[in-house]
Amino acid sequence: MPAIEAKALERTFEGGIQAVAGVDLEVSDGEIYAFLGPNGAGKTTTVRMLTTLLRPTGGSARVAGFDVVEDPASVRRSIGVALQEAALDPLMTGRELIRLQATLHGLSKRDGNQRAEALLERVDLVDAADRQVGTYSGGMRRRLDLASALVHEPRVLFLDEPTTGLDPVSRRTIWEEVEALNREGTTVFLTTQYLEEADQLADRVGIIDFGRIVAEDTPTLLKAQIGQPHLEIRLMDGSTERAEEIVSRFGKPLPRKDGAVLVELEGGAARVAPVVRALDEAGLGVEALDLVEPTLDDVFLAKTGHHLEPEEPEAAEDE
Amino acid sequence: MTWAQSVEAVRALIRRAANEILRVPGAAIPGVLAPTIFFLGLTSVFGALDHLAGFPAPYKDWLIPVSLLQGAGFTGAATGVNLARDIEQGWFDRLLVSPAPRPVILAGLVLSAALRSLIPAAFLLVVGFAIGVQWPGLDGLVITLLVVMGMGTVAACWGTTLALKYRSQSAAPLMQAGMLLLVLTTTAYAPLALLTGWLHTVARYNPVTQILEAARQGFIGGVTWGDTWPGLLCLAGLLAVLSGLALRGMRRTAV
Amino acid sequence: MTGTDLRVIVALGARSVKQTFRRPQLLAPIVVFPSILLAIQTAGAGQAVNLPGFPPVNSFLDFMLAGAMIQSTLLAGNSGGIALAVDIEMGFTDRLLAAPISRFGMVLGRLAGTAALSALAGIWFLVIGLIFGAHINEGVPGAIVMMLLVTLSGLAFGGIGAAVALRTGRASVVQGLFPLVFVILFLSSAFFPQDLLTGPAATIARYNPLSFIVEGIRDPVISSLSWEVFGKAIGSLVLVGAIGIALSSLALRRRLRMGG
Repeated sequence: MPAIEAKALERTFEGGIQAVAGVDLEVSDGEIYAFLGPNGAGKTTTVRMLTTLLRPTGGSARVAGFDVVEDPASVRRSIGVALQEAALDPLMTGRELIRLQATLHGLSKRDGNQRAEALLERVDLVDAADRQVGTYSGGMRRRLDLASALVHEPRVLFLDEPTTGLDPVSRRTIWEEVEALNREGTTVFLTTQYLEEADQLADRVGIIDFGRIVAEDTPTLLKAQIGQPHLEIRLMDGSTERAEEIVSRFGKPLPRKDGAVLVELEGGAARVAPVVRALDEAGLGVEALDLVEPTLDDVFLAKTGHHLEPEEPEAAEDE
Repeated sequence: MTWAQSVEAVRALIRRAANEILRVPGAAIPGVLAPTIFFLGLTSVFGALDHLAGFPAPYKDWLIPVSLLQGAGFTGAATGVNLARDIEQGWFDRLLVSPAPRPVILAGLVLSAALRSLIPAAFLLVVGFAIGVQWPGLDGLVITLLVVMGMGTVAACWGTTLALKYRSQSAAPLMQAGMLLLVLTTTAYAPLALLTGWLHTVARYNPVTQILEAARQGFIGGVTWGDTWPGLLCLAGLLAVLSGLALRGMRRTAV
Repeated sequence: MTGTDLRVIVALGARSVKQTFRRPQLLAPIVVFPSILLAIQTAGAGQAVNLPGFPPVNSFLDFMLAGAMIQSTLLAGNSGGIALAVDIEMGFTDRLLAAPISRFGMVLGRLAGTAALSALAGIWFLVIGLIFGAHINEGVPGAIVMMLLVTLSGLAFGGIGAAVALRTGRASVVQGLFPLVFVILFLSSAFFPQDLLTGPAATIARYNPLSFIVEGIRDPVISSLSWEVFGKAIGSLVLVGAIGIALSSLALRRRLRMGG
């Protein structure tokens, strides 16, 4: 039985805005599935429907074997949720919050306290446990949010943009925790705008744009669909034409970029050495060499015609 | 959820609501002071009304239960405002996504208002007695406090219903105003016989009039069962209707 | 004041008025709330006209109308202060300060808006008063006097609200003054005749400038225009207005000196 199943899931808001326009997906038990897409793509709306916070206007979904519309109470018992805004009460302490969560899930006082201590330990918040949440940093709040979602050892964990706005160190901490949870058997459904996050964490990625899944597969296979990695070679004396002749033996030459010679490499990274050797034998000095893999953004661009990540902020400032 | 688990959950939610006053310095002050300020103000302004024939008691004795109910109304409305804030900030989703049944969540939200209503009431009674308000007797006092807690709950259900509908703190004035209107369109200013025009009619049928009279009896005379049960019945009725509305609003927020 | 300044004041004033109409929670305290209170108090305490010592009136409504109007302008001043504080919090005032307009033009614009709103509220109460049977003794000249005083009140109380907004820069603080408005009203002859007030309020009301202002508005309704009453009302308005302007100027200067 899949952990999450959606068939033609749809949500239209008042005014005819179709946030989710027919999503089919199936997440197996023990998988980490990432929903990747820009702001407004429909990720949060989908998560809200799967977690019984929003009623679908079309289609159906089952989570942990229960229908989200017919049996929401059973769904809620089986899931843990950490939403986009770390939904915490600033006046409560970390410990109080997890204990409240435990009580709401029906755990006895004793079990709840034990669970709270174990979770605080796990997310490294023991020292801050008796401080009010209002004093926590962004990273601490996310960790507490995650811990609260785990109080009842859910089968399926939903994470809506779990690391947005976090510094790299905090982000990595969350990733490690998610991987650890997955190793213990929890199915994880996460949404993200970050390529790296989807790439690193997910077993499978669903790329969503304008409320529809436009591509779905493992990160590797998705990227392979787009093309092979390519080499960017910058030569010391600018002898680009000669270099192009040589490298064309190893793969399809691509348009030059900023004076660098580009060639698509069939066979991937293993073919780098022969290219370098050939250039060397021809007496051409290589100043810089870069192996560029296709990214999920390339996948996104190919499927939707626009980039996933916004333009570089530096470029905007220069204008 | 078993009965014991539900009770525990309600207690935990009430405990959480108490943080608003215990952990935010000065937050409670306006809510506590306002009814007393209005009481003193209105007594000074309209006090001479008790000279009119048909006025059964000094004005301050007449008015104090009105201010007590107003205090309960403010407290309940504040519960609604806090919920609207929690909805805006996403905390409420956390409660909705838990397996706690909707009635349990609602109970946790509104019962805290019942208890908190006692705070402005206590302050007002102390000030009232200090300026010479008649002691209502123990039975009168108990009935009054019961009524205060009941109205606090009613007001909290009203505030909750609006919070769930508008999902925004800008609905706050509506929450306050609704309760104020309910309490003032009664025999608040004067006995029924002295009210004129439309107010006379409205006050006659407004259930809060009965509730007010039940709370008022000790202050202006003796306490009888005959004057008490209509008020309690109306209170129960209001509670039933408004908690029903609130519950319906809760059920509509999520699946 | 230059022509530009005048245009700026009118433009900012118009913005204030538009803002208020677009946000029900700003309009409610100015019109809805005092109207409801007027209806309830008139019907609830209406028999007061039978009290010995109550001035001769056609109805309690005649007496209360002025109180409702003044309540409305006080709340308009409070609302205007809140709106100005929100502007400060959002940085809109910085934008104005960076523009080549007079500093005081900025504040006067807000005050013009409050005065305009008070005038509109005054018209509202006049109309509904007449619809529900109020009788203005001095007729049209009386109504004009009322409108004049109400508009000037808007300016004066608006100045106080603006002063608090400029000094604190926080809407929540200005909002907190809301109960204070009622305290001031209770300690005046806004809702009941001076001679029938009880307790310490009676004494305070005798010297409260608000009492003089209210009585100036009430005079044409229940009595005949009197220079003395009108003079006292204007004098009180000048006093409150002067305090408001002084405090606003100080606060504005302080804000500019400290960089906003």
